[in-house]
Amino acid sequence: MANTRLYTAIFVALFVLATAQVAVEIAGFVESTYWVAFGGIMLLSLVKALAVAGYYQHLVYEPRSVTYLLGLGLLAALALTIAASYSIT
Amino acid sequence: MSDERDTAGSGTDPDADPAPRPDGGSAHAHDHGLPPASSVRRWFLTTNHKDIGILYVVTSLFFLVFGGVLALLIRMQMWEPGGAVMSGLAYNQTVSTHGLIMVFWFLSPFAFGFANYVVPLQIGADDLAFPRLNALSYWLYLASGVLLGVSFFQGATFAGGWTMYAPLNIPLYTPQVGASTAVLALLLFVVSVTVSSVNFLTTMHRMRAKGLTLRRLPLFTWSILLTVWMMLFAFAALLAALMILSADRLLGTMYFATESPGGSMLWTHLFWFFGHPEVYIVFFPALGAMAEIFQTFTGRRLVGRKWFIAAMVLVALQSFIVWMHHMFLTSINLPIKTLFMATTIGISLPFDLMVFALIYTMLKGRIRFKTPFLFAFGGLVVFILGGITGVFLGAVVLDYEMRGTYWVVAHFHYVMVGGVTALVGGLYYWFPKITGRMYDEFLGKVQFGLYFLGFNLLYFPMFVAWETPRRVFDYPPELLPWHRAATVGGFLLGISFLVMFYNLYTSLWNGEEVEGNPWEFGHTAEWAVPSPPPLENFPGRASYERGFLDFVDRMTADGGEPEEEADGYRSPLSDGTGARPDGGSSTPDGGVVTGTGGLPAEREEGGMAVSHAEEPSHASIWPFVTGVGAFLTLVGLSGVQGGSLPGGIAGGFYLGTALAGGLVTLGALFAMGYESFHAPEMAVAERWPFAGVENTKLGVWIFLASDVVLFGAFIGSYVFVRFAYGWTEWHIVPHNSLPGLINTYLLLTSSFTVILAMVAAEHGSRKGLLASLTATLLLGIGFLVNKGIEWAELLHEGIWVDSSISASTFFLTTGLHGAHVLAGLVITVYLIWRAWGGAYLGEEGPIEYFGLYWHFVDIVWLFLFPLFYIL
Repeated sequence: MANTRLYTAIFVALFVLATAQVAVEIAGFVESTYWVAFGGIMLLSLVKALAVAGYYQHLVYEPRSVTYLLGLGLLAALALTIAASYSIT
Repeated sequence: MSDERDTAGSGTDPDADPAPRPDGGSAHAHDHGLPPASSVRRWFLTTNHKDIGILYVVTSLFFLVFGGVLALLIRMQMWEPGGAVMSGLAYNQTVSTHGLIMVFWFLSPFAFGFANYVVPLQIGADDLAFPRLNALSYWLYLASGVLLGVSFFQGATFAGGWTMYAPLNIPLYTPQVGASTAVLALLLFVVSVTVSSVNFLTTMHRMRAKGLTLRRLPLFTWSILLTVWMMLFAFAALLAALMILSADRLLGTMYFATESPGGSMLWTHLFWFFGHPEVYIVFFPALGAMAEIFQTFTGRRLVGRKWFIAAMVLVALQSFIVWMHHMFLTSINLPIKTLFMATTIGISLPFDLMVFALIYTMLKGRIRFKTPFLFAFGGLVVFILGGITGVFLGAVVLDYEMRGTYWVVAHFHYVMVGGVTALVGGLYYWFPKITGRMYDEFLGKVQFGLYFLGFNLLYFPMFVAWETPRRVFDYPPELLPWHRAATVGGFLLGISFLVMFYNLYTSLWNGEEVEGNPWEFGHTAEWAVPSPPPLENFPGRASYERGFLDFVDRMTADGGEPEEEADGYRSPLSDGTGARPDGGSSTPDGGVVTGTGGLPAEREEGGMAVSHAEEPSHASIWPFVTGVGAFLTLVGLSGVQGGSLPGGIAGGFYLGTALAGGLVTLGALFAMGYESFHAPEMAVAERWPFAGVENTKLGVWIFLASDVVLFGAFIGSYVFVRFAYGWTEWHIVPHNSLPGLINTYLLLTSSFTVILAMVAAEHGSRKGLLASLTATLLLGIGFLVNKGIEWAELLHEGIWVDSSISASTFFLTTGLHGAHVLAGLVITVYLIWRAWGGAYLGEEGPIEYFGLYWHFVDIVWLFLFPLFYIL
């Protein structure tokens, strides 16, 4: 598990992706094409989150059941958010 | 407890056993550092699951009386239209607190008293995975209950109904300090439940006796397993709701304010996302007890057992997709109402299967009409009526007519108190196991007669008088006879409990002694040990590897095949269900270990003497102290309103109490972390589906899963409110994204340094470990300082939590995240302190577990940053 080089590479990637999110904003995409920028920025967040969960939290090395456990929590939160928001449309 | 009773069931000569048996089961020195049960100190120090179970049962029965007295006050007020017993505010407090106490402080803890006592025995574990956390759950539960009691003396307690609907739940409508205290009490209760859920899930997934696969799990344990899974996710949503409500009440955020775009709708979504699973959370343990009792008193295995389990699993899943049927009268759209009507009607189908399985079991078996069976059967009968009347409410058009009437009151009492009925059966069923004495059968039947009559006289007239508006003590005069009948029924129900208390109390001292298993067909593992069981539960390692329960030498606990069978400890059960292969038609043939006498003492002469020669202490005062600290902290915080304390002595009192409570809590948690406490993992166990993830790591993961829902509900609330407001019209609070970006860099770097700390610990580098942890600490402090500067600037510009709904969501959500960072830093300080002394080198587990938490906090920020700073 202890692969310092891999952890460092991931750290650099996370740093770059965080900067990229703000670059999207500075470039004016949020102003001009909001929903495209929204999708892009949230996708970058998702990629970063998966990298942290997968490698820093070692989820890729754990039994898959641990991933499912967290997936269940995420599913519950998404169900609440999406259904509640849809209910007031 | 008397010494006389303490020797019951041991089978040894009492004269030759002068040492009092502290646990009521084990002779000699198997006290694990605990004082005897007759000592008050024992109950403050204990971490044993059986002791904690007893504490839960006794405390919950106290709250039954508390809530029951409030119920009788309600019925007295309803004696005539307009009521004359209480003022309007007093009535509202009574109704609200009755509901809160019965649902939260009585029903679930009552069930979890049995769960604590019975589940480890049924799965073959010596205790729960984290005994001190189990004690902590109890003390937080008690502290929360006392806090609720205190709220009555702070002006008035909460008076807006047990559902705490917005906007009645904000200080504009419920301004009393006591109302805030009640909210905080419920919040503390939820913390207790979360700790308990993590503990039970880890235990049941990692500590089952070898051979006890999930399919073979006894039905009561199955019901508890599903209950805690539901609890883990459902209570996290309630925790979010209560944290937001507390912020609205104490700090002045505007989530539930009348003018908020989310407002009352947000509360109903959060509350009922928790609230409907809660119905099954309180009913499932009753269903499990019912199934056990039906098996024992019909003498046969439950018909369709695996389908019964499948139906329970289905209900547990479906319970999370029905919550909006509580909201048919709100402005949610018609398509979603239709969808939730379908899911609601759908959830009744697996229940039909369970009901028919129970009925068919009775038909196929030979019923013994003992008190536990009568209550379990009575519970089934009233539940059927409660279930059918609930289907009415699941239909949108009928719900339009019946919502907010006594139909709802009658329906959910038939369901909830139906569950209580079965659990009272559970109390009689397990009373001999817990006490070693038999209750009085005649008085038990007398209670059942009074109970069943009182129950139906109380609740059935409510169906007839359904047009009575709920929570209002006025009604059309023609409904008077029905309400009077209900009041008489209420008192009859109350009297039946007096009979029960008398019966159980006198039986505790004078009841017939029970050798082990008093039930002809009681076959689950708890009956295979003396009554009450010894402190360490089993005379050897419980195993089902050969298809039945037997106890093998613990010394063979190396993951290999058991080599030595402990003589006389064999319980020929057919499987983990406790059901017998012959369907229970034969008489017990040594199916229990009772009467073998002095099992632990005998084992001491054998293989177990070694393991008991240096017994690790299982006593800890720190869970209790933490409970006291939490109580004081919340009493202090209850005085805050709109972000400020009252002036004068009152303000000083609240501030001082909060600070003292905080210090006590922190000190106790540090002491608990530092205290040496031996709770080893089982060397051999069934662990599906979490084999390969050690107990503590799994506990952290399970906690994080609930934290996912907590943050998910916070972010979901933000999304909901912003959606209601108009997504693109929303104004982002921070003026630019730079502070957020800097904090992202800081947090990402701190995640990296935690990883480096783990690598250093793995390599045994003390210097590297200390450097990495110190860097993590400094980066975390940097994060908080940066956030502090940002907040100070916003405050300087006049933007604070109560400026607008967007400001409320920004400050509260990022504030919750900041609190997580702060908690992480406190843990980091502890880790640095321990690492300074040379800890963790080559044993990087604690660093890794902390890392899981810290990285999670990092992940949350990765979403908060774009949502609150860029988009």
